[in-house]
Amino acid sequence: MHVRQVRAWFVRVSSLFGRARRERELAEELESHIQMHVEDNLRAGMSLEEARRQALVKLGGVAQTTEAWRRQRGLPLIETLVNDFRYGLRRLTKSPAFTFIAVLSLALGIGANTAIFSLVNTAFLRPLPVERPEQIVSVTNTAGSRGFPAFSYPNFKDFRERSRDVFEDLYAYRFSPLNVSHDGTSERLWGYVVTGNYFEVLGVKAAIGRTLTPDDDRLPGGHPVTVLSYEGWRRRFGGDPAVVGKSLIVNGRSFTVVGVMPQGFYGTEIIAAPELWFPVAMQAEIEVGNSWLDKRRVENLLIQGRLKPGISPEQAQMTLNAIALQLEREFPEDNEGKRVILSSPGFISGMMRGAVIGFTGLLMVVVAFVLLLACINLANLLLARAAERRREIAVRLALGASRFRLVQQLMAESMLLAVASGACGLLLAYWLIDLAVRLKPPVDVPLAINLHLDYRVMVFTCAVSLATGLLFGLLPAWQATKVDLLPALKDESSSGVLQRSWWKSGLIVLQVALSLVLLVGGGLMLRALQRAQSLDLGFNPKNAVEVSFDLRLQGYEQARGREFQKRLLERVRALPGVQHAGFVDLAPVDLHFSRDSVFIEGQMPERESRAPRAMVSRASHGYFQALGTRLVQGRDFTERDDEKSQPVAIVNETFARHFWPGEDPLGKRFRQGGTEMPLLEVVGVVEDGKYAGLNEAPQPYVVRPLAQAYTGANTLIIRTDRDPRELLATVRNEVRLLDPHLPSSAKLLEERLAMPLLPVRVAASLLGSFGLLALALAAIGIYGIMSYAVSRRTREIGIRMALGAQASHVLRLTIRQGMAPVLFGVAIGLAAALGLTRLAKNLLFGVSAADPLTYVGVAALLTGVALLACYVPARRASKVDPLVALRNE
Amino acid sequence: MSDKADVWQGTLALMVLKTLEALGPLHGYGIARRIEQTSGGLLSINYGTLYPALLKLEQEGYISSEWGASDNNRKAKFYKLTRAGRKQLTKETREWERTTAILARFFAPLEES
Repeated sequence: MHVRQVRAWFVRVSSLFGRARRERELAEELESHIQMHVEDNLRAGMSLEEARRQALVKLGGVAQTTEAWRRQRGLPLIETLVNDFRYGLRRLTKSPAFTFIAVLSLALGIGANTAIFSLVNTAFLRPLPVERPEQIVSVTNTAGSRGFPAFSYPNFKDFRERSRDVFEDLYAYRFSPLNVSHDGTSERLWGYVVTGNYFEVLGVKAAIGRTLTPDDDRLPGGHPVTVLSYEGWRRRFGGDPAVVGKSLIVNGRSFTVVGVMPQGFYGTEIIAAPELWFPVAMQAEIEVGNSWLDKRRVENLLIQGRLKPGISPEQAQMTLNAIALQLEREFPEDNEGKRVILSSPGFISGMMRGAVIGFTGLLMVVVAFVLLLACINLANLLLARAAERRREIAVRLALGASRFRLVQQLMAESMLLAVASGACGLLLAYWLIDLAVRLKPPVDVPLAINLHLDYRVMVFTCAVSLATGLLFGLLPAWQATKVDLLPALKDESSSGVLQRSWWKSGLIVLQVALSLVLLVGGGLMLRALQRAQSLDLGFNPKNAVEVSFDLRLQGYEQARGREFQKRLLERVRALPGVQHAGFVDLAPVDLHFSRDSVFIEGQMPERESRAPRAMVSRASHGYFQALGTRLVQGRDFTERDDEKSQPVAIVNETFARHFWPGEDPLGKRFRQGGTEMPLLEVVGVVEDGKYAGLNEAPQPYVVRPLAQAYTGANTLIIRTDRDPRELLATVRNEVRLLDPHLPSSAKLLEERLAMPLLPVRVAASLLGSFGLLALALAAIGIYGIMSYAVSRRTREIGIRMALGAQASHVLRLTIRQGMAPVLFGVAIGLAAALGLTRLAKNLLFGVSAADPLTYVGVAALLTGVALLACYVPARRASKVDPLVALRNE
Repeated sequence: MSDKADVWQGTLALMVLKTLEALGPLHGYGIARRIEQTSGGLLSINYGTLYPALLKLEQEGYISSEWGASDNNRKAKFYKLTRAGRKQLTKETREWERTTAILARFFAPLEES
């Protein structure tokens, strides 16, 4: 566009303001124009009257001139829009109740959508906080031990050396549990152990000091240095700028802080943000007594890499798999069948990707449902409002207004509602996110989800608001301007009876069906939670507490550790109210439960790697009693099962049945972990239980005595006959008395079930609350439509009553007409719910997806609420005074 | 219709500019009278159409306006050419001349070539 034209447009846009003054000026200018012309005409000899008439004729009319001038002055299109919006605003402020309900219901929908989208944004859209994040890929081991997609350090080094032509570099890291002492307080938290090139390849610089470098990673055990995250620095050192050179005690050893990472750098995983980074050369010092840098079997490093420019992930994956084949040939025992796939980074080498997609996908669907409901509702209300203006609209159409122009005016109102709701929704989302971040889920991983509203979320919210505005505004506006002119002008209802426009009833049907599906989902989850309470866990979670600590992290070697365990057990057993107490390395139900290979005597597999697997744990005597697990056969461990005596084991019923069907398992022998391991003799059989999850099928399970298979990672289970809550502080204190620096956590045994039940709880509360919200919206919608219908039919009802209809008859008639679409919606909803809830089968703990109680209950609730929403306007209808109604025209 | 209006507006604008160049600052009525006189009564316009044209020229920055007093001491809005307007006038004049020259050749009696 030409510069002059741009300037002119600018002037025209700015002329939208200060219009009144400019119009006044034009009026004056035209007035003086006419005066001058009149004077000239008078001089030419005309009469005053004639002079004036001629001047006006010559001008072509003041009004016409002003109108032409106005068209040139401003932007007529925008001015009409502004006018429409002003008019819409005036109409909205005139009916505050409607506006409030509309904005509230839409804002809830938009807010929920925004909050969930910020989750999607964090998980899938926001790149990792590193340089050129699009080049970073995660390398997944398809056959990692224990199903974890990790690699051993020797394999990592080989992959790194041999893949130089496709990767700029590969780096590796691992989450490690830490006992961190600083300033007299001890805490358990998580850190990353990383290869020396980690920060270099990512291209991130420290905010203070320096990052770790390859020089920090040369000599095993030789570089006790650490880098803090920004949050860790703020929390642990109060944001002290002179933090470099200070030290922290980590797992009993002193580490020097060399740097602080910038704010917003949360490592290379989306949901696991560490507070500290260490060089992998210090691995054996951090994971005390567990050195694996030279062990090709121990797979616990996650690998990521930066692709060379121009190399596709597919090419890189092919190269890596060629290397994996070489490594398989070179080390067949450790690398059999190991292949790699590349995935986008951030989901623990792709492991969590499916779960995250499933979870966020479900949430997106639910919140989209709710928003859709709010839209439908609003469309209904707007339609009713537009119908009030039927006559006005007809008049305007008859006078030649274009339908487009009328639709535009009606749309202005809905767009205003959408914008207001979008703003409120954003606020709501802000608050929801704040709540979600503060709400720590009961998981024992460094879960830190970085949720916040960035520009992508804003764009999403704007788009959703505008889309909803269009969605719920356009249809009613279209419908409202489709007027049958003649009857409308005569102010007759186009049909004497209730306007059964198909799509209004259709909206109610849809609304009822949608809220029914959500409520059934929520109801089933509640039933599942209820069922979970009576699930046979194989132990009794009531009346027991657990206290956990890790002696290895505090630098205890075996002899001291055994001594500590023995003394603590003695002291705790002597506490008043304690019935039983026993140690275990991992108590059920815990996701960390792992399986190990077992070799049954006389049933050797052809290859060690083909051996069957069983859940394993290590426990002291008294553990099963403390846990409340029934001994079915044989005996418990005793004090005599120690290092010097015959290695023994207790197995569960499934183990016994699976490996020795029909035989007496007592006295049978097997090895665990490898063919070189000692033979274990079965001395007892315990009842089956749940180990890693509440949904699992019965698993073979082996327990060895802690005395014969020492570990410093301990959970002490204590059963009491008093209120277990009283015991928590006492037990923690006992630990502190024995070692004031050992961090420990004590909780009720029941709390263990929080994690496995988390998905069901989340699903129950989300579906339940969204379902109730949907129900409320549906009730508002039904009420709105019914009241409108009644007000339209006042005259008809009046006539009926004048002709002798009873009030009760009118009531029944109105309710019947209102409830017909509701009942239809309930039927459709029930069918849809039956189909959809099948998908959630594995969350239900055996509650049938067609659980009759839930379906009947929800349907009854919904029908009841709908009935109420119909009843209020129907009652009003039955109270119609025929005289008033007939006169009321 | 709008095409014709555009052409008319364009010519009218050129006439306004030329008038202001010839006579200096002038009010709307004066401009209208002058254009009518110059055309020798051949052109009879509604004076009202002048005002949107003046506004457009002002928006484009070719002319500026100011309240002042007319010959017989009446308050009136005076328009005057800006520097940009002067430049525009030269340019438009040249273009106009070229256009008319071309058209003149079309309408000239055919010559034997």
